[in-house]
Amino acid sequence: MSEAPVSDQATHMSPDRSAMARLSGSITPGVTAGILVAVLMFMPYLLGGSWTFTLGLCFANSIGVLAVSLLVRYGGEVSIGHTFFTALGAYSVGVLDTRYGISLWASVPLALCLGVTLGLLFAWPSRNLHGIYLAVTTLALALAVPEMINNFDALTGGYEGLYVATPFIPGASMGLQRYYVALAMLVIVCFAVARLRLSRQGMALLLAKTHPAAADAFGTRRVWARISIMGISGGIGALCGATLAFSGSTVSPGGFTFWQAIFLLVGSVVSFYGLSLPRVLIGGAFVTLVPQLLSSSGAWIPVFYGLALLGMILLGHYMPRIRKAMARKSETA
Amino acid sequence: MTFWDSLIYDLFPLMWSGMITGCLYALGALGLVMIFKCSKVVNFSHGNVAGLTAFLVYGLSSGVLMSLSWGAAVLVAMLAAVAIAFLIYSIISPLVFESDLTSTIATLGFGLIAQGVTLLMFGADIVALDLPIPRFAFSVLGLLVTGYDLTVLAVAIVTIGALFIVIDYTKLGIAFRAISENPFAAEVCGLNLKSVHYFAWITAAILGVIGALLIVPTTFLSVTTVATFMLQAFAAAVIGGFASLPGALVGGVLIGVLMNLFTFYVSPEYSSTFLLGVILLALNIFPNGILQNVGGSRV
Amino acid sequence: MMDQQTHALRGEGIALSFGGIKVLKGLDVEFRAGEITGLIGPNGAGKTSLFNCLTGAYSPQEGTISYAGEPLNGLPPAARAAKGIVRSFQHVALCPDLTVRENVMMGIARNGTAGWFSAFLPLTKGIREREEMARAADAALADLGLPDVGDKFPGELPPGMQRLVEIARAVVGKPSVLMLDEPAAGLNNSETRDLTAVLRKLASTDLVMVVVEHDMDLVMSICDRIYVLNFGEFVAVGSPGEVRTNDDVVRIYLGSDDDE
Repeated sequence: MSEAPVSDQATHMSPDRSAMARLSGSITPGVTAGILVAVLMFMPYLLGGSWTFTLGLCFANSIGVLAVSLLVRYGGEVSIGHTFFTALGAYSVGVLDTRYGISLWASVPLALCLGVTLGLLFAWPSRNLHGIYLAVTTLALALAVPEMINNFDALTGGYEGLYVATPFIPGASMGLQRYYVALAMLVIVCFAVARLRLSRQGMALLLAKTHPAAADAFGTRRVWARISIMGISGGIGALCGATLAFSGSTVSPGGFTFWQAIFLLVGSVVSFYGLSLPRVLIGGAFVTLVPQLLSSSGAWIPVFYGLALLGMILLGHYMPRIRKAMARKSETA
Repeated sequence: MTFWDSLIYDLFPLMWSGMITGCLYALGALGLVMIFKCSKVVNFSHGNVAGLTAFLVYGLSSGVLMSLSWGAAVLVAMLAAVAIAFLIYSIISPLVFESDLTSTIATLGFGLIAQGVTLLMFGADIVALDLPIPRFAFSVLGLLVTGYDLTVLAVAIVTIGALFIVIDYTKLGIAFRAISENPFAAEVCGLNLKSVHYFAWITAAILGVIGALLIVPTTFLSVTTVATFMLQAFAAAVIGGFASLPGALVGGVLIGVLMNLFTFYVSPEYSSTFLLGVILLALNIFPNGILQNVGGSRV
Repeated sequence: MMDQQTHALRGEGIALSFGGIKVLKGLDVEFRAGEITGLIGPNGAGKTSLFNCLTGAYSPQEGTISYAGEPLNGLPPAARAAKGIVRSFQHVALCPDLTVRENVMMGIARNGTAGWFSAFLPLTKGIREREEMARAADAALADLGLPDVGDKFPGELPPGMQRLVEIARAVVGKPSVLMLDEPAAGLNNSETRDLTAVLRKLASTDLVMVVVEHDMDLVMSICDRIYVLNFGEFVAVGSPGEVRTNDDVVRIYLGSDDDE
């Protein structure tokens, strides 16, 4: 690639200064997230079992949305292939559970390690690809997932899939476990990502995204940045899959199709590539709820996703202009 | 002896049929490359829109929507494809000048909508859509050549030939090349970027319809057929460097042949994984496309 | 004086060509510690090419580049940074997502030892390291006369201040060589004056400073020595006074004025 064909404006869709300012000092985001978590803690007592289950899936998908958004925010790259990583995590949990009866305490670390390792392995051959070139490569990655799952059916159970039933905490209600484990995972991941923003690695990634030459001049190599962010994003993607497997109780190829990969990206766009807990929840809820609400009329699902994607992109494009025009009007008035 | 047998009975036919499908991949890839070359957008809706128009041809000629003749149905579907391309570009054009990545994501949205509309109009059923061509076959040196093969070859040659003539000699084509080389300079010289973009998007849509109609007889037509076919076209475009029209042509034929060989000799079940491998390999060995490296790249 | 000689950035016989076009034609150059050396010349003279050879962005086909006797050829920019050779950019290259303080911290982030666990978990090591870096960054900002902007984002500052923030990022790690690529580009007169004052203040005995600049007033007022480039060759070398009165330099800069 003689020149990176992509400008990084996509990653500046929402110059959310306040969110960043909040992260780097004052307490508002922590408080917002804390209140949100407190409310979510009580949800199972207010909602029925099926809604509790759905909300658990929302949390799991939120982690996936976060993985995609993180790649955009810190890497300036778009992935349409994150089902590769979610599938990896989900099958780590599924296989360890159904074959060996091992619960999350071992399968989640395994999922994380596998996700990071394969993220790195994918990043190395694609280290010089940017923008649409990388996007198309991730697309190929997403396409390869279903056939890999089906062809390793001895391990993955093929079309049938796997049923995850081993409890994390023996004795406790399985329904509640599926909910709280997902919530805990989401909170931990969001917290870790918020920490990353303050770390030297996170700052180096951000500088490398906007000004690779400057980052290079201060000791951050481009290849390091690319490989690191793919590893992180892959690891978080795998955690999403692991959570999906436990909270959704089944792991089957249907959850890791090419369309699911696009939906994760849609969720990320809908949340304006946000990394905070409220934002990723919006994305996760979108990915989870739209198919559920429209399940009776399946053909409308892609239409709705498409319209939502376009709507949010156009909103991201016109909103700052409208706001500016409004500000100008109020100034003259 | 057995080696020669297998060469004649397996390898040559495989390469021949691979080349035929490869021509179709090339048609798809050319559309993607045309759009990318001038507007730097990867059109992810290409496959789904082409699929929708293939369904339109089916619907209009089979009596589901109307009972037109095949030719009339194709004409209407072409017009529909042109209208859709016009509409898509009109909506995303403000984004195109701001961020190519954002507008690329937006095309995914159109792809989703096109797929949904196909489902809404025609359902998830699998239908058959054949070409009105004479059915015959003859063999040359042990190679079975069918009427379909020759049709594809002829249409591909005529279409691609026409495309290159348009790009090389017409005013619009020259503007297209100028803008692909240097959009800023071209705009300073008074060329209208948008009209050239429209030209690329509409041409791509027409190429997509032609490719879709030709590929469908080999399989059946379902919501995903054409989108899947276009993924091979993506690979072809990537191998060709994504910004080179001749590269797309070569890439298409190469992908067609390679996929055929891989499916036959290795495994039909890992074709997408193979495609992924090919893309990664190609991007690393020929980051600017196969033709660029052979000819020596200009600065 | 001995010290100046040994801690110098030297280039010997630097030649660079792009596709057969000779951009630099065997240049010998010495940037001494404790001096501000200017690199001037008309557009296309090869200033930026020479600059990029020194930073490691380009590798010259011929010649050697060394600092304090140690060869630098073949080292990428990141490795040169580790040796204390830093630069600023012609177009402000601050990250808009990081605060001003964090941008400056990037100048010493490479020295950090906190690992990936510290990046994701609130471990004392990472927190302490960040505090230390923040302190160093604040000190560097204060040195350059920007004590109160640490929590702002670069986009909120005028171009002159952004330029100073960039210089703060370059000097926060106590570099041995500081290379400035058109530091006055895009600055107004008063901002340029502030910059001049800052650069003068920075010129200390052990720092090699190289300034590539268009703004003649700035170059003449701050540089101890000036190299004048034209068509990839040095036309003149010397103090501002010598360069100002050099006939060749006058001809290059004033063109055919004296013919008319």
